[in-house]
Amino acid sequence: MRIREKYTGFLFIFPAFLLLVSILGFPAFAAVMQSFNLIWVKIPSFSLTSYHRLIGDVEFLGTLKNTVIFVGLTVSFHLLIGLGVALLLNLEIRNKRFFRVIAILPWTVPDVIGGLIWRFMFDTLPGMINAILLEFAIIVDPIDWLGNPKLAFGCLIFAETWRGYPFAMLILLAGLQAIPQVQYEAAQIDGASKFQSFFYITLPNLKYMIIIAFVLDTIWESRLFGMIYSMTGGGPGYSSQVLSLLTYKHYFLFFNTSYAGAIAVVLAVFMLIISLPYLVMTMRRE
Amino acid sequence: MVAKKPLFWAFVYAALIFMVLFNLIPFFWMTSSSLKTDYEVIDYPPTILPKKVTFGAYTRMWTQEQFFQYFLNSLTVSSTTAFFSSFIGVFAAYGFSRFYFRGRTTLMTIFLSSQLIPGVLLVGPYFKMLSYVELYNTLSGLILSQTTITLPFSIWMLKGYVDTVPETIDQAAMVDGASRLRICLTIILPNILPGLVATIIFAFLLSWGDLLWALCLISDQAKQTMTLGITQLVGQFRVQWSEIMAATVIVTIVPATLYLLLQRYLIQGFTEGAVKR
Repeated sequence: MRIREKYTGFLFIFPAFLLLVSILGFPAFAAVMQSFNLIWVKIPSFSLTSYHRLIGDVEFLGTLKNTVIFVGLTVSFHLLIGLGVALLLNLEIRNKRFFRVIAILPWTVPDVIGGLIWRFMFDTLPGMINAILLEFAIIVDPIDWLGNPKLAFGCLIFAETWRGYPFAMLILLAGLQAIPQVQYEAAQIDGASKFQSFFYITLPNLKYMIIIAFVLDTIWESRLFGMIYSMTGGGPGYSSQVLSLLTYKHYFLFFNTSYAGAIAVVLAVFMLIISLPYLVMTMRRE
Repeated sequence: MVAKKPLFWAFVYAALIFMVLFNLIPFFWMTSSSLKTDYEVIDYPPTILPKKVTFGAYTRMWTQEQFFQYFLNSLTVSSTTAFFSSFIGVFAAYGFSRFYFRGRTTLMTIFLSSQLIPGVLLVGPYFKMLSYVELYNTLSGLILSQTTITLPFSIWMLKGYVDTVPETIDQAAMVDGASRLRICLTIILPNILPGLVATIIFAFLLSWGDLLWALCLISDQAKQTMTLGITQLVGQFRVQWSEIMAATVIVTIVPATLYLLLQRYLIQGFTEGAVKR
């Protein structure tokens, strides 16, 4: 009975396992092999050429820097704004449902579409951002937001901050609602200030939710493709380009398949390093 | 303290109103622009509200461009992906939730961490694989590829829901002689129905918003999805913003409605899978 049970469990998991190995495991393995020049070439031989090329490629280095900045800033903004809005929505406010629904809306927009909307918002002449700024006399002449290499990347981060923060907000709000009210009452009796309650009760209770939101968001922002493709296309030049877009360009536009593989491997390693603490934590908890 | 209160609430509501404006302005601009004429939409300075509301952009998009076809393609791909990954996912979630075999945790972690593999790493080899089995440029190939994004999420969310069903129910059914498969389908499934629906819809939305896979695996215009069709429209020489905004309104309405209806279940699914055992 016990032995049979053991295999039954795996039988339930087997279809998913098989599917993931063939549609995820194999292509991932193939991409790594390809980056070392081991498959899909005339004469397969182990070579580090692609990786050597990475070190001297100014565009790659710039793009890597952009990716780190992009992920770092968007995730920080998402968590900060998300926590702020979650704290507001956790108060005894009127029309709570209304505010909650509005707060979620940006996250429901597919990233490609968000990119298009903001591209039009930032458009030089018919765009709304310039119109508002001119109306309030904050600027004198319309600004070419997405055509200026110094500004385009910032606009992209701004747009992704708009689209992504509601997810962090939702997770953190769920966390806030789970904190037992008794803890706050006890702290109040002991004479704790609002700030002390926040730092010694709210934040420690939110720890796991913050980590979940942080890791999921980091993964999503690192893989983000559609919004950047549709909003700036990585330009002007490569001023707003990130690794996912560079990989796509090398594979499907320049046909440097091996090199594209190497770039994607760098991106995967970057993501792994950031989320490793979470994986270790999950393993420990089990 | 008492004197501070009104000021505090004034600050709270001011912040909330700022949040509402920040969140809604792009939606407002998208909708307003989609209702303008071709000429008004590129006017400088731009008009905030259309001078004359017209649905011209909507009708042109559905009739002149192939958007109806794109819409059907998106619907087919996303719903098949969603049902397929949830179907496979239910069994895996049951297996992970109820059986304590060796290497279970490791396997579960591997499943979850597959999300760490960026799509752009897979899409190149995928293109080669699909060409080899002659699934390149087919909706089936696209469905299979999007399952890579949705399946790990589906398993994760579903396991969270299965965990909420007490194991004593399983044991009682087993005493009555029910097989594990029957328990999974006739006892667990009805008990997690809201969660299952949320999972299906979440998978649907992940697939609905995808651009990367469609861009790399579809070359035929008649097989494009909504997101791909719209981005191609921007690439053309003259950017028709009113039409593009009309299309974005339609692509956004579907997920926005679904999310708002199911937000409670989605959040439960996200957090329970991760927090509970």
